[in-house]
Amino acid sequence: MMWEFFARSLNASTIFTFAALSELIGQRSGVLNVGIEGVMLFGATLGFIVAQSTGSYLLGFLAAIVIGGVIGLLHGFFSITLGGNQVVNGMGIWILGFGLTAYIGYPYTGPLGMKRIPDIMGLSPFFFVGIALIIITWLVLSKTSLGLRIRSVGENPSVAEVSGINVTKTRYLSVITSGMLMGFAGAIYSLDYNPVWNYNFIMGWGFIALALVFFSMWNPLILLGGSMLFGTLWQLSLNPELVLPGVLSRYIWRTVPFVITIGVLMLMSTKWFSTKWGAAKPEALGQPYEKE
Amino acid sequence: MILKDIKRGDTVLEARGITKRFPGVVANDHIDFGIKAGEIHAILGENGAGKTTLMKILFGLVQPDEGEIYVHGEKVNFRSPLDAIHFGIGMVHQNRKLIPAHTVIENIILGHPKSGNILNLKRTGEEITELCDKYGFNIDLKAKVWQLSEGEKQVVEILKALYRGAKILILDEPTSALAPPETKKLLASIKIMTGDELAIIPFITHKLPIVLTVSERVTVLRRGKVTARLKTADATESNLAKEMVGREVIFRLERVEVGKGKPILQVENLSALNDKRVLALKGVSFSVHEGEIFGIAGVSGNGQQVLAEVLAGLRKAVGGKVLTDGINITHYTSLERWQKGIGYIPSERIDVGSIGDFSLVDNVFMNYYFDDEFSKWGIIDSKKIRKLTKEIISEYAVAAPSSDITAKSLSGGNLQKLILARVLSRKPRLIIANLPTQGLDVGATEFVQNKLMEAKKERAGILLISEDLDEILSLSDRVAPIYEGEFMGILPGEQATRENVGAMMAGLK
Repeated sequence: MMWEFFARSLNASTIFTFAALSELIGQRSGVLNVGIEGVMLFGATLGFIVAQSTGSYLLGFLAAIVIGGVIGLLHGFFSITLGGNQVVNGMGIWILGFGLTAYIGYPYTGPLGMKRIPDIMGLSPFFFVGIALIIITWLVLSKTSLGLRIRSVGENPSVAEVSGINVTKTRYLSVITSGMLMGFAGAIYSLDYNPVWNYNFIMGWGFIALALVFFSMWNPLILLGGSMLFGTLWQLSLNPELVLPGVLSRYIWRTVPFVITIGVLMLMSTKWFSTKWGAAKPEALGQPYEKE
Repeated sequence: MILKDIKRGDTVLEARGITKRFPGVVANDHIDFGIKAGEIHAILGENGAGKTTLMKILFGLVQPDEGEIYVHGEKVNFRSPLDAIHFGIGMVHQNRKLIPAHTVIENIILGHPKSGNILNLKRTGEEITELCDKYGFNIDLKAKVWQLSEGEKQVVEILKALYRGAKILILDEPTSALAPPETKKLLASIKIMTGDELAIIPFITHKLPIVLTVSERVTVLRRGKVTARLKTADATESNLAKEMVGREVIFRLERVEVGKGKPILQVENLSALNDKRVLALKGVSFSVHEGEIFGIAGVSGNGQQVLAEVLAGLRKAVGGKVLTDGINITHYTSLERWQKGIGYIPSERIDVGSIGDFSLVDNVFMNYYFDDEFSKWGIIDSKKIRKLTKEIISEYAVAAPSSDITAKSLSGGNLQKLILARVLSRKPRLIIANLPTQGLDVGATEFVQNKLMEAKKERAGILLISEDLDEILSLSDRVAPIYEGEFMGILPGEQATRENVGAMMAGLK
């Protein structure tokens, strides 16, 4: 019983891991995507529809990755090429995703109706993929030339440009990769974690993932710990009586991840935080770069 | 192409007849310039003399309309900085082109074609250490850049250029951000590193003594033209200034004794925190009298900025008292201080001193809106404020086509004149001048210093905060060197010398 709870928690944390990691990749290059929830909705819904219609999980996941990449490209076009406000654009993506997927997905309401993806002792195979991806991302960011370029355009694009780095190209690369992973994260939710289509079924997980990136101080390894914490909290909110019988109502438990999210985001925006931890945040985050 | 087999005395870079026109101005007018290996050849000029354009042309950021550039006898055509780097030209920027969050080594290899896909920090580290040994630098390659001093950051920039194979180094205002001891150290290492094969071109606006100590030849620009080419041995500070400005410049302002009056400002044991919530001002006490310039000399970041902000009412004191005419004003707001006749000239001209997107009229008004004369019942008397702005512009020779242009479109010197004029026109009894001439060229500096002197003659008390030792020494009646938030002493003007004030600024009592 206890293991089952634990495995369920880790499966939930897998989705946070993918989503937050995707956001982290974009942010390290200086592009903020607050529309992550919308991209996940797109990936989840399209993946669900394609998998159900073709009977192929592979095609479902591919569709999710492609739509995520396309939205990433769109976000890149607005925020890199046109130099628009990234927060406004991200909000647009969220609203679009929210509305459009509710409309497109409505006829598919209900369970997926396919054989479940096999698990390993109750753990989703994506859990292991997620851990591998965390390690790969960490290695790429800190040990490779590409990672140095991504970090540099996120810290100070004009310095990067002077050093001979193509800022636009590097940012597009990051944003598209980031979008693809967001779509994938959505599809893990709708095809593996909880294969039932429902109105607004991502339920704010994208926003929690967004907060997780700040929470992790842009470090993939801390991010893994953070997503496990949130996964466990989430699971606890579903069945609190399993672990802490009789302590508080499940509805209060269910608010906990969101309360923490709000708390983290508020804390991050304080002056105190930015002076104390300022070095961890990509300096140019959210700022469009214009060549002189 | 890496330049090989360079012998001392070979001409490595030559520019012939460089001309660049921008709408309305000829930024570079047939400039000829050459440099040999093993030589330091300074280019001197005021802001707007065409230095920046020339520098950008040499580094491939701007293409000339006319003229040719030869590197080691070969004609080159730079389309981008990458071309210039390829031909062994390196640039050390004035506003550091470094990423503070990255380590020294990451900054040096950033964008280097040799760095490969997977970074081999050990091997590159060894290569860079070798360069350091060769040129006599000493730096911790694993340190993050934000932990370094300004001088060390400069060394990182130089190493970055050298690591890319630069043999010709362009230094943009190399010492403008450095404290006197760091300047000395940097100049010594530049002299050594030049050796036989490097050629170094420092571009300099002010700080003429630097030119005289390090360089072998000097080229002076004025309004886009070369006005003088000299061997440094034949140059003096005053003839260089004359060539730059086009007229005689008086370097040492005569300190006028106007007779010290009663104290206007008394500061007792004042302490305050900086933005990082660290105690940056640790109990200073002093007073400023009528008709006196009280100079605070210090390297940036030693608490003088915090002191200025506390006195201007922009920052809270955590201990101590500030008195004017015996009244405790420690907790007065900024507005109440203006009304008591305290005028503040901030060091940040565009962020604190003015609103960049506002017109000159509106910017002047920001120091007058609280006077009944200029706004009655909350309604602005725009005619009056417009008239005042016009007077200010003409009296202070602010080069502005109209008083409706935005503040940010003025050059640094002209904006500073406007801010100074706005403060002085209120006839304040106490003036807090925080780095009033920082970044200004020789002409504008002279102007600002003269105006402060005039205010003193009218018996205002002036608190002058400056990082420029010469300015402090020539203007101040008393000098207080500040180090880590404390005064190292208060010296009467006649006892303050470069040597003792310089030593006290570095923390020696």
